Formats: sequence, C-alpha cells, structure tokens
Amino acid sequence: MNGASENKVPWICAKCQKELVEEKVKVRYLDGNFEVELLKCPQCNHVFISEDLALGKMLEVEKGLEDK
Amino acid sequence: MDLEKLLDIGNQCIHSEPPVCVASCPVHMDVIALVSEIEKGDFKNAYKLMDSKIPFARLIGKICDHPCETRCVRKDAGGSIHINELEKAIIHFGYSSPKKTLLLPKQKGKVAVIGGGVSGIVVAALLDKKGYHVTIFEKSDRLGGRLWDYEGEILDKETIKEELQMIEKIGIQINYNVEVLEDDLPGYMDQFDAVYLGAGHWEKGHPIDFDTFKVDDLPLFIGGQIVNKNPSIIFSVSTGKRAAISIDRYIGKISISASREREGSYESLLNYKVVDVEPVDPVVKESDIYSEEECIKEAERCLKCQCNECIKTCSHMQKYNITPDAYIRKINHNERVILGTHFANEMINSCTECGLCKEQCPVGIGMKDIIHETRESMVARGKMPPSVHEFALRDMEFSNSDSFSLVRKQPSKEQSKQFFYYPVMAFSQYLRGLYKGSGKTGYLFYPGCQLSATHSSYIGEIYKHIVGTIKENEADLDVGLYLGCCGAPADWAGRQDGMNDTVAKIKSVWEEMDKPTFILACSSCSSTFAKYLPMIQTISLWEIFDKYGLPEVDIKKGKRLLNIHDACATRHDTKIHESIRNIVKTLGYKIEELEYSKDKTKCCGYGGLVSYANKEQAKSFQEDRIQESPNDLLVYCAMCKDSLVRDNKRTFHILDVLYGKEDNNVILQQMPTLSQKLNNRKKLKADLLKEIWGEEQTMDASNKYNFVLNISKDVYDIMEKRYILVNDIEKIIDHSRKNNERFYNPETSNYLARLKLENVTYWVQYEEKGNEIDVNNVYSHRMEVVEE
Repeated sequence: MNGASENKVPWICAKCQKELVEEKVKVRYLDGNFEVELLKCPQCNHVFISEDLALGKMLEVEKGLEDK
Repeated sequence: MDLEKLLDIGNQCIHSEPPVCVASCPVHMDVIALVSEIEKGDFKNAYKLMDSKIPFARLIGKICDHPCETRCVRKDAGGSIHINELEKAIIHFGYSSPKKTLLLPKQKGKVAVIGGGVSGIVVAALLDKKGYHVTIFEKSDRLGGRLWDYEGEILDKETIKEELQMIEKIGIQINYNVEVLEDDLPGYMDQFDAVYLGAGHWEKGHPIDFDTFKVDDLPLFIGGQIVNKNPSIIFSVSTGKRAAISIDRYIGKISISASREREGSYESLLNYKVVDVEPVDPVVKESDIYSEEECIKEAERCLKCQCNECIKTCSHMQKYNITPDAYIRKINHNERVILGTHFANEMINSCTECGLCKEQCPVGIGMKDIIHETRESMVARGKMPPSVHEFALRDMEFSNSDSFSLVRKQPSKEQSKQFFYYPVMAFSQYLRGLYKGSGKTGYLFYPGCQLSATHSSYIGEIYKHIVGTIKENEADLDVGLYLGCCGAPADWAGRQDGMNDTVAKIKSVWEEMDKPTFILACSSCSSTFAKYLPMIQTISLWEIFDKYGLPEVDIKKGKRLLNIHDACATRHDTKIHESIRNIVKTLGYKIEELEYSKDKTKCCGYGGLVSYANKEQAKSFQEDRIQESPNDLLVYCAMCKDSLVRDNKRTFHILDVLYGKEDNNVILQQMPTLSQKLNNRKKLKADLLKEIWGEEQTMDASNKYNFVLNISKDVYDIMEKRYILVNDIEKIIDHSRKNNERFYNPETSNYLARLKLENVTYWVQYEEKGNEIDVNNVYSHRMEVVEE
C-alpha cells in the first residue's frame, strides 16, 4: 500500500499553502502497523489520502486485517 | 461454540445422501454419474464406471437383475429409467479390451475359493488383484456357474469364455472337477489362510455374520446364493465383494467389522418427491439395444435425485454454491483458525437468518440458529470484522438515545380537558378515548425504529386511531407510546452485550408501566420480543386494526391484484398473516398468494444485516423475490419495503394502502435516504411530543452551522452506498473551515477535508460558494493515519 502513483496531485495544503511531498507515514488498523509512502504537507504534516487509495488498496488491507 | 455438536448436525444433512437407485443397488452403482457420462456421449467412461463397481462388468452388466429399476422414483412420472438397457448399451458402445497389466507377486497370503460360480470368481478376482495367491476349487469342468444359464439369450458363448479365461490368465490357480464336502473344510482351513465358500448350495448351515460373512472364529467366509437365499446375480456379486473385503482385512489382521455400515442394499434417507415433475415416458428401443441417441434421451429422463430443498429456495446458498453439510464444515474450519485468514467470514455474514432452509429441510436442519451462534462466537472471540455491522449498530444506538427514544403514557384526562367540548368530541374518537383515560396503561404502542424512519408521517395518526378504538372497546385500558429500537440489529450482529442492554431497558419500561401489552408494528420487533422478552404480552398493530377497526379510509371495492410478501421474521405468526389478509380484503384488494408465502416466505434481503456485509448478496435476495411476484407487492414490514421497492417494482407498505395514498403516488415508491431516516426519527419524536403531549422539545437546531449544503442526487447515491450521513458531512466541513484543516485544489477551487469520527475517517470534497457549499464527493477509510 503506497501512494507512490499519486506523487503528483493537484492538491495543496490549504493552511500552509505548500505542495504535498511524499514521505513515509505510519498507518495502523487492528493488529496491523505499517509504514507507507504517502503525500503530506511538509509543514503541518497533514496527510492526504485519495479516494482511489481509500477505496482500493487501503480497503483491501483493512478487509484482510479484519479477517485475520 | 460446540463444534462437535455442530459437525453432528452437518452430518445429518442429506444433500449427499444417495438416490434410492444407488442405495438399493447391492454394489452401489453410481447411476447419476453413469447417466451423466451417457448424456455427454462418453460411453467409454461410463463403462469404466461400471467396471469399477462390478467385476466382470461385461457379463454381469448385461444380466444384472437391476433392483434399482423397481425403486427408481421416475416410476411415478412416466416410468423408471431403463438402467439395465442403458448398461447393455454401455457395454456395447463403451467396452474395450483391458490393457495388459503386470502380474503382481502374490505374497499377501493364500486363499481357497470353493465354487467357481458368480460370487466365487468375484472373490477370486478381487483378492488376486490385492496380491493374494488364490486357488479356485470347482466341482464341474468350467467356471462361471449360473452365467451359463444366460448363454445364447443375453450372453454369447465366446464372450463368456473370453471373460472367464482372464481368470486363468492373471494367474489364479483353478482346480476343476474337485467337489469339496463339509468334512473337507477343516483341511482347507489348515492349508489356506482363509477359505471362501461360494458353492451355491450347501447342506450344513453355518453361523454366518451377515455384515462380514465370516463364520464364527474360523477362517471361513461364505457368500453367494448360500447367503442370499435368492437367485439374484447382483446380490451374489455383492456378497462376493463384501466377503473379499473381510478376507483381506482378516488376513491383514485389521478389524473386519469396523466402518462396514451401509454395505449392500440399504434404505436411503432421501425422499425425493416427484409431485412437480413432468411425466416423460421411457424411450422405446428400435432394435435389440438402445442406440447412442436413444441412450442419451433415456439418460436425460433421470432426475438425478438429490436433496436440494434448501438450496433451491435460498439465494445465499446458491450464491456460495453450498449446502448445509459443507457450510457447517466451513464454519467449523473458520472457528478453529488461530493464525491465518478466516475465509468464511463474509459468507457467514451474508445469511439473512430468515429460517426458510429449516422449513424446507426434510430432516429439520436450519442454518439460522447456527449462523447466529457463529456470529456470537465471532464477536466473543474478537473475530467479527468491525466494519460489517458498525453502521447498523450506530443506527440502533441512535434509536435508543434521547434523539429518538421516548416513553409516554396516554395524555391524561386532566391534561386534555381543554379539548373536551362539543362538537369536537362528537367527531373525534381519539378525544373520546382521552376522555375515558384511566391512568392505567394497558397497551404500549411500539412502532419500532425502521417504520418510524420510513413512515414517520403515519405514526401520530395511528397512535390517535388506536387510542380511540381501543378505549371504545376496553375503556379501562390506556394506550401509551414507546419509541425505540428492539435490538434486532444487535441480535443479527451477534452482539449479546448490546442485546442484553436493550432487552433490560425494554423490560424495565414494561415493569414501570405496570406490564402493558406491547402493540408491535414491525416484524423484527415481533420476533425479537418473542425470543428475548417472552414475559411481555404482544399483539401486532395489524391484529388491532383487524379486531377494532381500520382508520377511516375511503374504500373503493374492486381494486387491483396484490401479491403479499410476508415478513420472514413472522413466518410462524399465523395471526399476523391472517389479519394482514383480512385488512387487504376489507380494503377491496384481491390477493394472489406467492408460491413462497406465510411460513415458507422468502427474505427481502434485509434480514441478518446482509446489506451491510454483502450488498450483492442482498441484491440477489431482492431480485429473487421481485422475480417471483408478477403483481404489485404488499408488505407489512418497513425493511421489506425498503428492500423491495425498485424502479420497476411497485411495493406498498400496508400503511400506504390503509391510508389510501397508494394510487400512483410516485413518492411512495421512493424510500428516504439514510440521513433522512435519521432526521425523520428526530422530527417524529419532537412532533409527537408537541402534538400529543403538548411538550416543546429543545431541539438541537438543525441548522446550527453557518453554511448550507447542496448535495446532488449523484452524491446522495454515493453517500448511501458508502454509509455516510449528512450530519457527518456537516461536522467535517465545519471542522475543516474552523481550523482550515483541508487541502485545496487551485484548478477546481475544491477543498478536501477529513475528520475521524469514532472508528472511521471521512473525507469530503467540496466547493464554497459563499455560505452555500456544494458537496462533490465523499469517501471514508478505517485505517488510521498516525500524523506526527
């Protein structure tokens, strides 16, 4: 699960007016802890999750963990 | 969960029970497989199947006395399948000379076979194959015994000879013209490891074990006609086969009696019914034997009897292509997984727990209770996927919160005295009812959460109507009101804790109200009360209507035909079935009963919270039910209406019809959105408090935000699909605006905001137009991002 394919998105952080950068981010669900490359604001660390990611890979991993 | 007990239940499933033809066949010829091969035109494979069950199939297959045909259930629908004729044709079209095989060393032991007749040569051939050194002692100068009786008629001499020569070719020793007598037996038993006696006739009776064909503790086994006491060829083959198994086990020093159930001919538990089967006459052969085409046609008449009573009516089992026996094995496996994936979770959460399988099952297996217990076990072990039922459980929590829940006694006489004047009283049965107020709550109207969400506009009218009619008939009993949720979602989700809390709350209200009878308007409430609150007396709203009179409606007789879809939760409640039909008839509609109705009704797809776990599964239930009904549907459960109302399917709740608003009213064919259902309940509580009890509720202002949302139909559809509520969207946008925590797209001027509410992070894409906000997209995820 990573956001590498999304390294160019039209979104900027509204608060900091910064372009988003790809960085390792910790995500967790149930017993799963992962570090994944996601887009975030370099200043306030606000992490961006696209619809494709949320309903694609992320959902798949969530379901996988729920069935463990 | 007692998995051993569960597996026992699974073993009772007769889906795998053989048809009567196979069970009555002493060698258990797999007739279904045989005719299936014929239907494919594969006679070679069909012969192989025969050969695997019957030694010397080329001969025996032709002269078999086919007890299967007298039992074939097709006999009552045109005539039994001509299995014997098919077998003859299989031999004709499918036989090929056996390949030469290497002779095995015969080292396992020495066996004497006394009598080279049918059973004798079967025993000899089978034991030779297993590696025994077999010697046949035949009193005449040829093998085959009764096979020769058929020479010229069915079997030709050359074929008999050719087949019997095989015995010699494979290395079985044959001693012709040796007559063995009773007194000789001890000598044979000394000389050989085991002796098989298949002489056809024997003067002295021996104590034979009819399961193993062994005689006492001697190395002597007896089969064939001596045991059968009848001339049946196939029974001789059978006893020979079974004696060979015993001899092999005896010499191999293995228990000869273990696992010998159901050998030979037995009664199948399968009771296949041909009531709905169209009779088709047997195919008449045009020459001595069936042609290939005739065989195929005759094979096609085979019903391939198998118990599919549950699966044929259940969209769930059909979707997973599974029968209770296999289902139970999967549950057993799922329950035992410690490390690894619980592959059956989705399936277990896709059963509607409607109970139809149990109604259908000839041996009374029902998956409803099994699934329920499994879900409870999953929850108890922390293995229930949290996302599956969360939305429904949140909804239930809402219904039992102050936002909706309400308990009120009937407005007192004192409270209502300002209305008691002529002519108002003369025209209002309700006010006359209030005037008769006794202060004793005899009834408590409990409309349930879903009806209140989807048909909220009727609830007040119903309440007033039943106060009026009940007080007219039972003057000393007042009618109170109780809004809330019975706990059905918690029950479906296997949440015992949520269920216990809800039940305790309802029970305490009941006790505080001096144990009134609950008037229920929801089928799920009915079944939940029956299961968890048996001490509370209940009556359905429909029975009250039927008993005390309908709301005043303009009845126009001769209205159209309706199919009644009974709610699965009330499949055994004949009083509800009857009262609904009475009401519908009184209103002037004609009823056409569906094939699956009353105790055999099918689920609409809402049951068991399946739509939350598996939308596709819920849809297949809906489609199945809709397909069954050629007319408009009438339902009496709010959830059934929610599920069955579709673009091209008009579905009416009985209240739609009762209040006379059904005629081509498009709005009635649309159900409120999830957000509307929530707000309807909030509003219902406030409206009832104000209208009936004159209480003003301090409502949280619905527009407490400084913006107004514009949500298109497309976005509403997405919200419905993703279980996202307007209230949540408002919170997210408000939070993002206040804290400027959001992303911005300069190209589209859209904002994208997220907020985690309980276990879910929601994202909303929107555009600001002054105080108006266009919501353009919404989505969510449960995975938590750790922002540092």
